[in-house]
This record gives sequence, C-alpha cells and structure tokens, in this order.
Amino acid sequence: MTTRGRGLADWLDDRVGSRHLRRLILDEPLPAGTAWWFTTGSVLLFGLGVQIVTGIALALYYAPTPDHAWDSVSHITREVRGGAFVRGLHYWGASLMVVAIVVHLLRVVFFGSYRKPRELNWIVGLVLLHVVLAFGLTGYLLPWDQRAYWATVVTINISKLAPLVGDWVASVLRGGPDVGALTLTRWYALHVVVLPATVVGLVAFHLYLMRRQGISGPITPQPGRSELFFPWQAARDLTVVGVVALVLAVLAWRGAPALEPPADPASTDYIPRPEWYFLGFFQLLKYFPGRWEAVGALLVPGLALAWLVFLPWLDRGRSRQPRDRRGVLLVFSAGLAAVTTLTVLGARDRPRASAGEWNLRELAGAALIDDDERCTACHGPDRAAPPVQPGRITRPATWLNAHVDDPLVIAPGLREPPTSIQADTLALRAALARLRSGPPPVHDAPTRHLHVLLNRFCLNCHKIGGVGGTDGPDLSTAGLKFSADQVEQRIIDPKSVKADAEMPALGDKISAEDIRLIAAWVAARK
Amino acid sequence: MSIEDRRSALARLVAGGVAIVGAGLTALVGLVAAPRRREAARRWRRALSMFDLPANRPGAAVLTDRVSDGWYETRTETVVYLDREGEGYRALLSTCTHLGCRVVWDDGAREYRCPCHGGAYDREGRVVAGPPPRPLDRVAVRVNPQTFDLEVEL
Repeated sequence: MTTRGRGLADWLDDRVGSRHLRRLILDEPLPAGTAWWFTTGSVLLFGLGVQIVTGIALALYYAPTPDHAWDSVSHITREVRGGAFVRGLHYWGASLMVVAIVVHLLRVVFFGSYRKPRELNWIVGLVLLHVVLAFGLTGYLLPWDQRAYWATVVTINISKLAPLVGDWVASVLRGGPDVGALTLTRWYALHVVVLPATVVGLVAFHLYLMRRQGISGPITPQPGRSELFFPWQAARDLTVVGVVALVLAVLAWRGAPALEPPADPASTDYIPRPEWYFLGFFQLLKYFPGRWEAVGALLVPGLALAWLVFLPWLDRGRSRQPRDRRGVLLVFSAGLAAVTTLTVLGARDRPRASAGEWNLRELAGAALIDDDERCTACHGPDRAAPPVQPGRITRPATWLNAHVDDPLVIAPGLREPPTSIQADTLALRAALARLRSGPPPVHDAPTRHLHVLLNRFCLNCHKIGGVGGTDGPDLSTAGLKFSADQVEQRIIDPKSVKADAEMPALGDKISAEDIRLIAAWVAARK
Repeated sequence: MSIEDRRSALARLVAGGVAIVGAGLTALVGLVAAPRRREAARRWRRALSMFDLPANRPGAAVLTDRVSDGWYETRTETVVYLDREGEGYRALLSTCTHLGCRVVWDDGAREYRCPCHGGAYDREGRVVAGPPPRPLDRVAVRVNPQTFDLEVEL
C-alpha cells in the first residue's frame, strides 16, 4: 500500500474502526472441515443483492397503476437499454432465491444444524423462507397481466379462509371493492418497502446469530485446527456464487418469459396457472372439496410449518449423524417428496399453451382495425383518434373492451356510433390484447377480408384452429372430408344437403363471391 | 423513596413511553391500511336479449360497471350465465365459489368448468366435481316485457 493509501486507511480506521470491522467480518473462525456445503448461505446473499439492485433499476421505470403497469413493464422489456436483461435477472433471480433457500434448508436439516443452541436462528430462517415466497407472490402481481390478476384473486380468496381474521385480512390485501388499482399499490408497497425492510432486518439478525453461535460445521467434527473465513472459505463461496451468477446471466440473457395479455377480469378463455414455486400448493388446493377447503389451504401447510418450527425440540439427541436421526429425516424426506410430487403434478396440469401463432379471431380483429370503416373513420393518421399502433397500446383491457363494445361510451361526442356486431367485438378484443405485444402477421387485403368473414359467419358455431364455438363440428380439418363445392353448398343452404341440419342458411347473408372465398379456404384445411 | 426505586420507576416510565409511541405509529398505519367499506347498491340491468339466448346451452353476458377504485375510475366486468329454467330463466354468477376464478360453460361436457382447481358445476349450478364448497351463486333475473331483454339484479 502506498503511504498515502495507508494514511487514508489510518484516518478511516481512527474514525470508523474499519480494521476492526474488517477483522470482524472476514476473520470468522470456522470449525475444521467446513467446506462446499457451507456456501449455500452466500449464494442466498448474492441472490438478495441481485434482487435489490435489479429491483431498484426496475423501480425507475415501473408505474404501479392498472392503466400503466403492464405498459411500463413492456416498455422496460422493449425500450429501456438493458431492460430485458435486468427484468430477466429479477425474474430468474426470484426463482434462484427459492431454489437456493430450499437447498440451504436441506443442508441445515441433513447436517442437523438447527440443533441447540441454534433453534432461534433456525426459526428466523423459516420466517425468511416465507418472506422470500411473499416477495414472489407480491412481485408477480406487478406486471398486471392475466397471470398476475388471477393469482391475486386466488391468493386473496385463500386469505379469507383464515379463521376470525380472514375477511379483514382479505379486505386489507385488496384495498378496494375488487382487485384493482388499490390492490396494486398495496402489493407494490409490500414488495418494495415492507418486505425489503423485513428481509434486510431478518438477514442481519440471522447473520448476527450465526456469528454469535459460530457455524455448526461438518456432521462429524474433524480433527485439525479451525481456520478463518478469509481467504479459503471466502474463495469457495465466491466460486459457487460465480457459477450461480453465470447460470443466472445466461437465463436472464434469454430474457424473462413474455408478458401474458393484460389483466382482463371478463376473459373466459384464460387458464390461470401460478409461478412454478406455488404449483405444489396449487395442486394441493384441488384435493380438499367443499368445507374442507381451509384444511388444504391453511391447515396442511400450517402443520408442516409447525413441525419444522419445533424440529429443534423434536430432535435433541447428542449425535448429528443422519443414522441417529432416522425418524426425523424420514418425516422430512416424506414431506419433501410430497411437495415435489405435488409440484410435478401441478406442472403437468397445463391445458394448453397460450401464446403462439395468431388465431383466426385475432387475425380478424387485426383486419377490422386496419380496414373496417367503423375503426378507420376515427383511427388513422390525421384523424380524430390516433392510429392503433402495435406495441404502443396504453389503455387497460377493461377500457378497450368497453370501447369496442360501444365507442360512444368512451369517446363522447362521436358523430355516429358504429353498429356493433358481436363476432366483430370478440375479434377486436382478442386482437387488441395481442397487439400490445407486437404487430400481427402481414396479410394482403383479400386475406384480411376473408379472416373477417370467417370470424363473423363461422366461428360463432365452429371451432377452427382451436378458436370458435362448439355448436357445430370443428372445421380445422374439414378439407379432408369436403371439397370447396360441397362446402359452398352447405353454406348457401345446409338443408339441401342434410334435411335436419341445424346450421342456418347463409346464402342470402353473404355475397356469392365471399361464399366462394370461404368455401375454398375451408376446403383447404387439411 | 430510594434512588433505586426512582430509577426503576423512571425505567418503567421510559419503557411505557416507547410502547405508547410504537402503538401510536402502528395504529396510524392500521388506520390508513384498513380499507373503507362500501356496499355497492344492487339494481336491475339489462344482461341479454331474450332472442340472443342460445337454444340449448347457457349464454354468457358481460355486465360492465363504472366504479371508482381509489383515485382511479375503472370498469369492472362481471360475467353472468343466463339459461332457461322451466317457464322462466336463471342467472348464475360465473365466479367459482372455490377461490374466485372465472368458470366457463363446457358444451362438450355439458357443465361449467373452473380452469383453476378443477371445480365443475352442472347446468343448474350444483357442484358435481372438484373443491367448490357451494353451488354457483344465483342472481335474480326477470324479463323486461317491453324490450324482451333479460334483466339481472346485480
């Protein structure tokens, strides 16, 4: 160190006691044989650091209101420099925290580290586990997409099941009459103020207790002298943290999963699924019917937690050897197996993927926005309302739904309210939800016209490519059975082919030319 | 009164003061965090035209309300399933009685299915499978004799 550097260090030491502090932090005496298994805590500290830093970065751009939350997250992902990476880090960092805290817990259980005198620190650790899960839960409401909305609805309804205080807790968590603006700000405050303060305080206490009692060390005490944390154990910690950081960076580089469509309380085709670390709990809820609901939601997890809390008193023999703690480890492993099984079962219950190619209804909606007089009369360059720009839609889903149902409601003073056709309205709703995240595939004008026709006249009753009604047969592969001429005949007058056909004759509702277009397209579905 | 007595009395006084400050701050947070209770008034409103009710299955109607949600004016959307029942009609709220997801009429299975935890209800709203604790909630329904609209009280 240079003289000047030493001078500065002395100056600081005089005032802060920095050398003493450094020794306090780094010269932690460790029992001989402490090694790789004792790096799990450092991984958690690293994860916490990542979450705090990326969380601050996200908070610079995030807006916790229903009309801007989704868009601000979308903006972060698409336009902020490094935004996708930062959101990826925060997203995968949350999963890392859950995985790392479970690994840490497994280490503590199998090493018997919870034993006297570390009972209290074990309990602080269990509280921290729940704080981490609470972070996950409050965090994934914030983007205000479909998953966020429904997970929150379910969570708040679960809290209602708590005896005596349930309704009160639920109303405090909800804030307003329904899950909405007031819920979002509450959960935001929890996520960025209450929980971080809690976690920092608890982690400090956890570390203080760890240092006060010393770490438990290997299961069988090793001969040899105790060593200091710095540099060997510090190097091990750093190595593991480095590997974890690399994995995290690779995952984040690929980005967080795309946002789901914005929260839409009225949508009936969305299938809610929680984040993976709640899948076990999600699956458990299915097994307790009727008034046993509270058993699955609260009692079973509560008993499991109580067992963990009392573990240091249930298991108080002398030896920390696994073979001397068979009973305890057996119960723990059974619980672990149950959680794993439930999680796997929950993960397999995924009816279908949501995103993917644009379906017919969405395509029809996009075509209407581009071509239909009822939309283009107002929306376009130099028109009364701005053009509908993919990726730049800023209104909440409820507003958009109301707007396409009846533009007058939202745009008072409109000259002539467009007549609404139910099928078109559905298509517009679907398309607007998709347009938030990007432009539709490009089609020429006749194809766009065809999409509108198919949506308006076919999808009410027929399913095509996974979307549509169920009154008539699925037409996704109709071309295998019918030629274009046969389809045409069936559209013009179904009873001429089959006397008891329930399908209405559309010959006088659609122009002959359009019917030929539809028939040719349907006959090409093979 | 000895010095020790006075010291311990003072110590108790200080502890009590700290407790009062703590309790005051907690009460303040509680006061702000406890939401205001407001019961929404029910009223009769149009759900669906009688003629738009499908022949052999329930028809869904989306009812939109303008509500104030704190500083924020928003719309809530409630989905009600309307159906024929004998000479009259029935209206079922589409909110699953288990944990509040949106049930959907599955025409293949001829029952309402909840997409979350596997609850299922028959056409009358009775639980036939899964965890729901009670039947789907019923909503009062009537026919407007002038317009032939089905109206629900919600």
